[in-house]
Amino acid sequence: MGVTVLQQFPIETRTGPSTIELLSKRISALGAVQQGQFLVDCETYTSTPALGHQRTVHVLHNSEQPATVFSILETGQKTIPLATDGLFDLLMMKMSGFYTSKKQTKAESKGPRYEIGDFCVKLGTVTVSQNFKGILVEVEYRPSVVPALCWELMREFLQGFLGSSVPATPPAYLQNRMQELYTPMDTIHQYLEQFTIFRKSPGLRP
Amino acid sequence: MQQREEKQLESSLESIVQRVNDLKSSIASMIFKVENEYETLNWPTFLDNYALISGQLTSLSKVLSHDKCPALRSLTVLPLMLSPERDDQLAQLTEHRVTTFAHDLVPDYLRTKLEPMAENKMMQLEHKASTLTYDNAQKQITAYQKVVSHVWELVNKAKEEWEVESTARGSTQQNSSVADTHLLVAAVGMGKGLKMGTAPNGQPSQTSGGMMVAPQGRPGGTPGQGSLPPNTQAMTMNKAPSAIKTNIKSATQIHPYGR
Amino acid sequence: MTSPGTAIDSLNAALKCNIIPNQEYLLQGSVLDQYVEVLLHRLRGLCDNVDSGPESFHDHELYFVLRATNTGGPMVLPLRVRRALDVPDAPWQLRYVGQQELGDKNRPTVVRSSIDMACSSTIVEFLTELGCRVEFEYIARGYMFRKGRMKITVSKIFKMGNIANKSGEGVEPISQSYLVELSVLAPSGQDAIAEDMRIFAEQLRPLVQLEKIDYKRLGNLP
Repeated sequence: MGVTVLQQFPIETRTGPSTIELLSKRISALGAVQQGQFLVDCETYTSTPALGHQRTVHVLHNSEQPATVFSILETGQKTIPLATDGLFDLLMMKMSGFYTSKKQTKAESKGPRYEIGDFCVKLGTVTVSQNFKGILVEVEYRPSVVPALCWELMREFLQGFLGSSVPATPPAYLQNRMQELYTPMDTIHQYLEQFTIFRKSPGLRP
Repeated sequence: MQQREEKQLESSLESIVQRVNDLKSSIASMIFKVENEYETLNWPTFLDNYALISGQLTSLSKVLSHDKCPALRSLTVLPLMLSPERDDQLAQLTEHRVTTFAHDLVPDYLRTKLEPMAENKMMQLEHKASTLTYDNAQKQITAYQKVVSHVWELVNKAKEEWEVESTARGSTQQNSSVADTHLLVAAVGMGKGLKMGTAPNGQPSQTSGGMMVAPQGRPGGTPGQGSLPPNTQAMTMNKAPSAIKTNIKSATQIHPYGR
Repeated sequence: MTSPGTAIDSLNAALKCNIIPNQEYLLQGSVLDQYVEVLLHRLRGLCDNVDSGPESFHDHELYFVLRATNTGGPMVLPLRVRRALDVPDAPWQLRYVGQQELGDKNRPTVVRSSIDMACSSTIVEFLTELGCRVEFEYIARGYMFRKGRMKITVSKIFKMGNIANKSGEGVEPISQSYLVELSVLAPSGQDAIAEDMRIFAEQLRPLVQLEKIDYKRLGNLP
C-alpha cells in the first residue's frame, strides 16, 4: 500500500491498443516486469423517485483489493465512502427496488500491470458500457503513504515514460489531501473522478 | 446321529465366533475413539458405544447357554504337534498375536484346568468349608445376610429419594420463562419496547412520512419489566434462593448418565 | 496471463455453485438471570473453545429500515449494523436479515436469508444518507461459544437510555433473563445442520428451551 496517482494519457491519432503497446514498450525499456493484469470497474446506481431527492451510489471493485467492495454515496451535499466485504454486491441486488443501475454507465479500466522497483504501473484501457473511451495510467509508489512526501518523485517518474502529458500539479482529488495518510479508498475516488469525466466525453474509435 | 451332533457343533461354533468378533471390533473401535477422538468425544456417543458392547456380551452369553449349544466343556482340544517354527497361517488367523505353536504358549492357550496355584487355593478353601461345623456356618451366613440387606436398604432409599427429586424437578423447577423469551425475541427482532420517539440524529427524512409511529406498549416510562404486575415480580424475587439450591443439585444430575 | 474477471462475474459464479453462506438457521430461547452461570458452565463443557474460555462481547446494534412506496406497493428493506463497544478498532458489521421461514413441524429450526459482511465505520452515515431510518437500537452484552459451525450466544439486552451514550453506559436491561441464540450461517440447502442444532439444543434442556419462535405471533404481545 502506497500513494497512487491516476492520470489520462492522450491517444492523439493512435488507436487504443497501439497506445497501450507504445506505453508498454516504454515502461519495459525502463526495466519494468509485467505482473499480471488488473481491473477496476464501476457501476452506478441512482435512487428511485419514491426515495425523495436523488442520490447516487457508485459501487467500485479493484483487483488490487479483490475481497473488498468500495461504495461512494453522493447526495448532492455530501460524499460518503464505504468499504465492505464482497457480499455488498448481493445487497445491492436486494436494493434493486430502491436503487437502479443504468446499464450504459458501467465503466471499467483494465490492462497490464507492471512492477518496477518501488513503483507499480497499470496501463488501463477505459470502456464505458463496452465503448472505448481512452487510456488511464495508474502509478503507485509503495514505500510512502503521505502524498506530499512523494508527489515530486512520482511526477518525475511519470514524466520518464509519459513525457509532457504529465501535469505539474497533483490530481484534483489529491490536492486537498496531500498531508493525509493515503488509503485504497483514495485510489477509488480518483478512478470515480476519471470515470465521471469519461462518461460525459464522446465515444472514440477503439 | 454323530453327524447331526457335528453339524450342530459347527453351527454353534460359527455363531459364537461371529459374536466374539463383533465384540472384538466394537471394543477396538471404542479404544480407538478414546485414544484418538478424546477431544470431540461426547458422553452420549461414549455411552452408546458402551451399551453396544454390553448388548453384545449379553447376546454372547445367550448363545452359550442355549439348549442347542453342545456342552463345550466336555470337548477337548488335543495339540498333536508343537513346533518352534513360525507358522504364517496361524499368525494370519490370530492377527499376528500368536506366531508360533510352541511349548511355551500352548499350555496357556489350551488350558482347561485352573492354574496349579489357583487350584491349590481352591482345594484349601474347600477343605476349610468341609471342616466347618453346621452352627458356625449358619452364624456366618446370617451375619453376612444382615450386612447385605442393610446395604440393599441404603441403596433403595437413595434411589427413592433421587426419583422423587427428579420428578419434582420436572414439574416445578423453572430455569427460563417463556414470557421473557418472547419479550427478548420481540425486542431484538422487531424492536418491541426499544423504539424511540425520535430519530437519533433528529433529522426528519422527507420520505418517511408515516414512519414515526409512537411506540406501543409504553405506559409510563420503562417498558418491559416495568409493565409486569408488581406482585409477580416480588414472587420471583422471594422464590429465587430456594430455586438456586435445587438447581445446583439438578445440574449434576443432568449429566448424561441420566439419559 | 488471463485478465481478472469482474467481481460481479465471480459473485455470480459463487452464487451458482451455492457456496455463499446466505441462510441462517436459528433457534432462540432465554434463561433467567440466576441460572445463567449454570448455563455458561454447561456450555463451557459442551462447546469447542474449552481452553480459551467463552468469548465475551459488548455490542451496539442499530436497526435501519429503508422504505419506499412504489407502484408495486410499499417496499421495506431492513438492515442491521453492529459494532463492538469493547473493541473500537474492529470492523463494523452490516447485515441484511430476510423474512423468517418456520416451515412445517419436521423442520427443526427457523430459516431466514442473511447477508452478512464486515464494513467500515462510515456505514451509519452511509445508510442514513441512503435514505435509511433507525427504527430501534440496543446494547447486547454477553458470551459467545462455538461448537463446530454452530454459534451460541448468551446475551443480556439493554435499552439505550434517553440520552444515547456512546460508551454504552447508563443503559437498563429490558428483562430479568438472558437471550440465548443458537445459529449457523450456511449456503442454502444444507438442512442437515438443522438436525445437529436440534440435537445440541436438546442437550441444554431443561435449562434453556431453544425453539423456533414465530415473530408473527409475537406481534400481539402486550
